[in-house]
Amino acid sequence: MPIARVLLPVAVTVLLAFGAHAHAFEGEPALYEAAKKEKALTWYTAHYNSETAAAVCNGFQKKYPGVKCNYIRTTAQVAYQRLSQDQKAGIAQASVISSTDVGHYGRMKQDGWLQPYRPKNLSELIDAFKSFNDPDGLYVATAAGLVLITYNTSVVSPADAPKNWTDLLDPKWKGRVSIGHPGFSGYVGTWVVQMRKSYGWDFFKKLELNKPRIGRSINDTVTMLNAKESWVAAGPSATTLESKDKGNPVAVVYPTDGAILMVSPTGILKNAPAPNAAKLFVEYLLSKDCNEIMVKMRQDSVNKHVKPLPGAKSLAEVKTIRPTYDEVEKGIPEVKELFRDTFGI
Amino acid sequence: MTKLVLKNVTCRFGAVTAVDDFSLAMEQGEFVSLLGPSGCGKTTTLRMLAGLLHPTAGTIEMDGEVISSPTSSLPPEKRNMSMIFQSYAIWPNMTVAQNVAFGLEVRRLPRPEIRAKVDQILEVVQMAYLRDRYPAELSGGQQQRVALARAIVVQPAVLLLDEPLSNLDANLREEMRYEIRRLHDEFHITTVYVTHDQAEAMVTSDRIAVMHQGRIEQVDGPRVLYARPRTRFVAGFIGRTNFLDGEVRGGEVVFDRFAIKVDRFAEPAALRGRVSFSLRPQSIHLHRHPPSASDSTCIIPGEIVQRAYLGEHWDYAVRPKESALALRVTARPHEVFEMNEHVWLELDPRQMAHIR
Amino acid sequence: MRWRHLDKSLFVWVLLIGVLLVLVVNPLARLLWASFEHGATGAFTLENYAAAYGRWRYLEALWNSLVLGLAVAVLGTVFGVPMAWAVSRTDMPAKGLVWAAILGTFIVPSYLGAVAWILLAGPNAGWLNRLYVWLTGAASGPLNIYSMAGLVLVIACYSFPYAFVFTRSALDLISSEMEDAASTLGAGTLRTMLRVTLPLTLPAILGAFIVEFLEAIALFGAPALIALPARFQVMTTMLWQFFEFPPKVQVAAAYSMPLLGITVLLFWLQRRIIARKGYVALTGKGGERRLIRLGGWRWVMLGYCLFVTSLSFFLPMLVVLQAAFAKAWGRGFGLDNITLENLRFVLIDQPITRAATLHTFVYGGTAAAIALGLGLSIAYIVHRRLVPLGGALAYIAMAPFVIPGIVLAIGFYAAYTTPPLVLYGGAWILILAFTTRFLPIAYANSDAAIRSLNPELEDAVRILGGGRLLAMRRVVGPLLKRGLAGAFILVFIPATRELSSAIFLYTTGTQVLSVLLFDKSDEGNFEILSSIGLILVVITVALVLAGFRLAGRDFMLKRTAS
Repeated sequence: MPIARVLLPVAVTVLLAFGAHAHAFEGEPALYEAAKKEKALTWYTAHYNSETAAAVCNGFQKKYPGVKCNYIRTTAQVAYQRLSQDQKAGIAQASVISSTDVGHYGRMKQDGWLQPYRPKNLSELIDAFKSFNDPDGLYVATAAGLVLITYNTSVVSPADAPKNWTDLLDPKWKGRVSIGHPGFSGYVGTWVVQMRKSYGWDFFKKLELNKPRIGRSINDTVTMLNAKESWVAAGPSATTLESKDKGNPVAVVYPTDGAILMVSPTGILKNAPAPNAAKLFVEYLLSKDCNEIMVKMRQDSVNKHVKPLPGAKSLAEVKTIRPTYDEVEKGIPEVKELFRDTFGI
Repeated sequence: MTKLVLKNVTCRFGAVTAVDDFSLAMEQGEFVSLLGPSGCGKTTTLRMLAGLLHPTAGTIEMDGEVISSPTSSLPPEKRNMSMIFQSYAIWPNMTVAQNVAFGLEVRRLPRPEIRAKVDQILEVVQMAYLRDRYPAELSGGQQQRVALARAIVVQPAVLLLDEPLSNLDANLREEMRYEIRRLHDEFHITTVYVTHDQAEAMVTSDRIAVMHQGRIEQVDGPRVLYARPRTRFVAGFIGRTNFLDGEVRGGEVVFDRFAIKVDRFAEPAALRGRVSFSLRPQSIHLHRHPPSASDSTCIIPGEIVQRAYLGEHWDYAVRPKESALALRVTARPHEVFEMNEHVWLELDPRQMAHIR
Repeated sequence: MRWRHLDKSLFVWVLLIGVLLVLVVNPLARLLWASFEHGATGAFTLENYAAAYGRWRYLEALWNSLVLGLAVAVLGTVFGVPMAWAVSRTDMPAKGLVWAAILGTFIVPSYLGAVAWILLAGPNAGWLNRLYVWLTGAASGPLNIYSMAGLVLVIACYSFPYAFVFTRSALDLISSEMEDAASTLGAGTLRTMLRVTLPLTLPAILGAFIVEFLEAIALFGAPALIALPARFQVMTTMLWQFFEFPPKVQVAAAYSMPLLGITVLLFWLQRRIIARKGYVALTGKGGERRLIRLGGWRWVMLGYCLFVTSLSFFLPMLVVLQAAFAKAWGRGFGLDNITLENLRFVLIDQPITRAATLHTFVYGGTAAAIALGLGLSIAYIVHRRLVPLGGALAYIAMAPFVIPGIVLAIGFYAAYTTPPLVLYGGAWILILAFTTRFLPIAYANSDAAIRSLNPELEDAVRILGGGRLLAMRRVVGPLLKRGLAGAFILVFIPATRELSSAIFLYTTGTQVLSVLLFDKSDEGNFEILSSIGLILVVITVALVLAGFRLAGRDFMLKRTAS
């Protein structure tokens, strides 16, 4: 939208002006000094996409010169698999883990992989998200996003676009709908669990009749839409809107029966090779600077002081639903098998 | 002084016996040839001497110490021997001088000494002007000389040669066999020479061991070997010959249509029953008229049935009267006879070798 | 036994044989053991096999693999054999171009080819489909890469060079006299080719057929990229699934046994075919070879050759280049769609790319060096009969050829992630897996090189006082330098692109480019994928050119198998 293009730089400048006065948290200089002495920080993340992860890491390095940050962006299941193999072999590789499958954190807590840390920047976190934090301080919410309905505007008019989830089952979308795979993506896994909760597994049996294109990551749906391989999808708000900013003909629909709210935590590993840098990084993830970067990439902010860009609704304005923590932890392994049996892969 | 002793050496490859019960003693400085057709086991024997093969039975001793036996063998590098291979085995990635110097370098001689020795030996084989060439740039004969130089410069205790001349043309072969003997005489190295060419063996060797199917048929000096072959194979292999089979009856050896008294032969006591003799074509003389009889010769009438003129000599096949034999006779160029001409054969029974 | 009589180099040979056994026999043994091992208790059990073949899905994957293998072998033969005939026996023009294109096909890894074909024949957005729609006005294009047929096409494109090389080598040995005999009796060109020439090359063609089948069923990258969206599984993708957390190594081991079994059986069959006496006409120098005149048909043959190489090389490289430099590949060719951002992101913003590139070179080079050293030593030991049962060593050295890469990786995983020897997590497990995987190439080349050496050259060293090791250093090594340089490159190149064995054994710290490309494919960001692929191709081209300089222009034509 042309107006957004004009307002965008103005809004960003204003926000940055505010950001420049972001006050340091208590103990920051000491933590920074300690972090500088350590090796590079390795961050396994399934939050966001590669470009956003890169931007976050670069921002961190710019804010704290002398501390190095390496990111490995994969889907949630792959990240967890890598971490598990590392832990099993006794290798300390990653310092920070950011998975989008909340069930992972229960298991990690049980297996004793995480170390507790209560960030000083916790006060910056949006209040509604605080319930997603671990009571024992082993993990804290650092990313949020929505799974909603996305479509390609060059072949689907806003009037024809699906309005709620069950609209995806309409035969007119046969061969034209795209989703991710719960065996890989935490976002997709959570979405599948929610759909099963809302509509039963019949939802997917009917979806199979529409012969959906199944990728791996939820971000695959954006590629499918961009390429017009699919016309509608169950996709992520952030990556889709980012693609739209680049000039691709995609748009989002906030489903009337609720977009899935994804709040993804981050944890510090007990055997982190760079523990102080890790702590500094978690503080950064909650900080204004980081969230401003994320918002620019169309991610949703978890920092209460940072507003989204024009053209996107903030999380408070949208109807959201999500399964409970226990439902996710038990549900994702179950739906993985069901999914494989229904869709064949 | 005995240098090398092979005692009942046998070499088996699976079902094939390449060398069978081979026994031979060689003196220091002696030049011995192993002569025989291909497949007779001569190269196998040589490789056992070198330590490249192990005997399945028997032992090889050098200077009184066992160096090869079925259970253990001294590796080739410790035997202080040299070998010249049929393919010369000159290393293509090194120059002539580097090839020749190799053995000396392994023996860790000081550099100046190596250089001096290399120069000296290259002079001896007349290859000094090619010292910096690579083998690919040399002719067969030149490579041969390099191989010789390389083998001799280390002053080995024993020199082994495996058909070194078989890849050269006839003229070069003649020249090189004199060269090899000359070098042997100059350096007094105990030498074992393997060949299938009897002329080479005759020219170069002190003694020749004739081998056939893995076994030794006869070991003797060249002249004895030629004149007194002891087996049919040796007689046939060394030069051409006539085989005469006969039976001892009533004091005479009766051949096909003619007979010779037993006491005319060289070893009458050994003759009994069925006997065979080897008679060289050069030992028979042809006459137009019956020559005078004598105690040492026999006269037999016959007829020319075949003749061929070879420039250096005549080759005649002569049939004794009413006999089925065709004796080969070598005659001098001026001794011309016509086909079917009636001639008289004169032969000396003492030159007939009794063969088994 | 007296010490004076002991050949001291014997110790070196025994050590090397030990290394060979550890590299090849240990992982296989552990794999076999793991298939019968209960995951938690370690007790003997058959339940892994029950689990592996209990679900219909798993059996379906096995079936799909067999169908895939057969179809690829057929298509690859259809591609490669006529091209070989055209290049070897006829007067088709532009043979140099065709050969260069085949070389190009060899340089493109099959998983990159899969990515390119997705860009070309994706059902809605693929370039070829869009072209068709634009030309004919139809509603959508006819091609759908996400199908068994699509997968068969992609894999056949990258395995037809086997058919080409095998057949061409055989054809080069047939003298024209054979064909003359047929033509003087009145047979035309086509009939001669079908009734005389082709039957003589049948063993070579069959040999290539089998190799292509084996390659197709053992591939991982291309099936993972195409089959999964197409919603069918093959054995290799199924095995990958078994490794999802928590990894079911034991079930994976049981599941991979048939793959191993089929491979061994077919490989044995192939050797039998090649060794048959009917092949006798093709040994030796062959006679004079005249080229068959095709007249107008030579343009048809050239067209066919260029058609096939377009499918395998020209078209894919075109789209890869376009995507690597595009802002959004879907927007097509246009000056407004060119950017260096992708390459910048890959090379600069993403530190892991530089690490992965470094690792790719280092691991590939190290593996090539070890494989070559080991292969040469084993070939030497076998040919010089330094130990009894040398023939068995030759078989062990060649054995990894029959083990699909992914199965080998599982074997390594089973063997080296638990004590006593834990290599997992480090670079060495990757290096050793690559070494083992490509040892057969190194061995076959070393074998040929040692055969070409006159043993008397070494005997001459020994009789003059040097030991075997000195002979190797002063004579054997220098003489074989060139051949060995070629063999080194022949192992280096596939090692830098190896995916199927790396995918299980890498960790974050030991990434290589092939795995990076594959890992990134889950985001569907084809621009980034193409950039990484381009880097990989550039590295391979550099290595091939180095190979030409070091070892002559024909170093890749020598058949390394059978």
